[in-house]
Amino acid sequence: MQSALPELFTLAERRLAWTSERQTMLARDIANLSTPGFQAVDAPDFQTALARSGAFQPARTSSGHMDGTIDPGSSMRPVRERRPRTPDDNGVRLEEQLMKVADTETLHATVTSIYKKYMSMLSTALGRSG
Amino acid sequence: MGQDLNTALGVSAAGMDVQTARLRVIAENLANQNSTGSSPGAEAYRRRTITFENRLDKALGAETVRVRGIGRDQSEQPLKYDPSNPAANQNGYVKTPNVNSFMELMDMRDAEQSYSANLNAAATSRTMLNRTLDLLK
Repeated sequence: MQSALPELFTLAERRLAWTSERQTMLARDIANLSTPGFQAVDAPDFQTALARSGAFQPARTSSGHMDGTIDPGSSMRPVRERRPRTPDDNGVRLEEQLMKVADTETLHATVTSIYKKYMSMLSTALGRSG
Repeated sequence: MGQDLNTALGVSAAGMDVQTARLRVIAENLANQNSTGSSPGAEAYRRRTITFENRLDKALGAETVRVRGIGRDQSEQPLKYDPSNPAANQNGYVKTPNVNSFMELMDMRDAEQSYSANLNAAATSRTMLNRTLDLLK
């Protein structure tokens, strides 16, 4: 029987990468709170990001080709939000951004706990305590 | 390279940096709200303005905010009748700085608020980073 655990770890890793990337985007939005002409961006939802990640890798069809250099982790294309702008032509709403930050953090906590849980299950199966 | 939580911390730090620069400019304006010129008919202190832009930081490998430039408010300087002032013109009028303290105070509030928002975002990034490191235990 094949275990589902390795797949779960990969998925958790992807999700953690997604939260990191989203957190960076949100941090940038907040940093640009008073930049004229700036419009907030957000990460695509996880399903979209997951479907896109690693979907297209250049294949080596000849020995003269170089290895694929596309990093699957950077496949997240930011989604530009359409929000009414303030008089200084800025489209960042602080409340919304902070809510998203809190959201991302909760998600991160959830994923890390699940990861830990499965790790300890694995340890138990291996006969170690912890 | 994907953008990790350290990048998020760097971006938030840049955000705090520019808000500090903004506070410095506001402090300069407030401190000089009575600075007139020293020779007859001379210009008084001109209000400084600061603008930001979103640019790629090559060292960080991500777009961050930075100060675009510090300019001067070109609006007209109000005249005040004060013949004894060394900067008074032949009619006894002195050019006074175009600083509006209410505007500066509101700007200061805004900068303060943005600073704490950045600080909060950085704190959250740090918590997430620590939690990821906890996976090693």
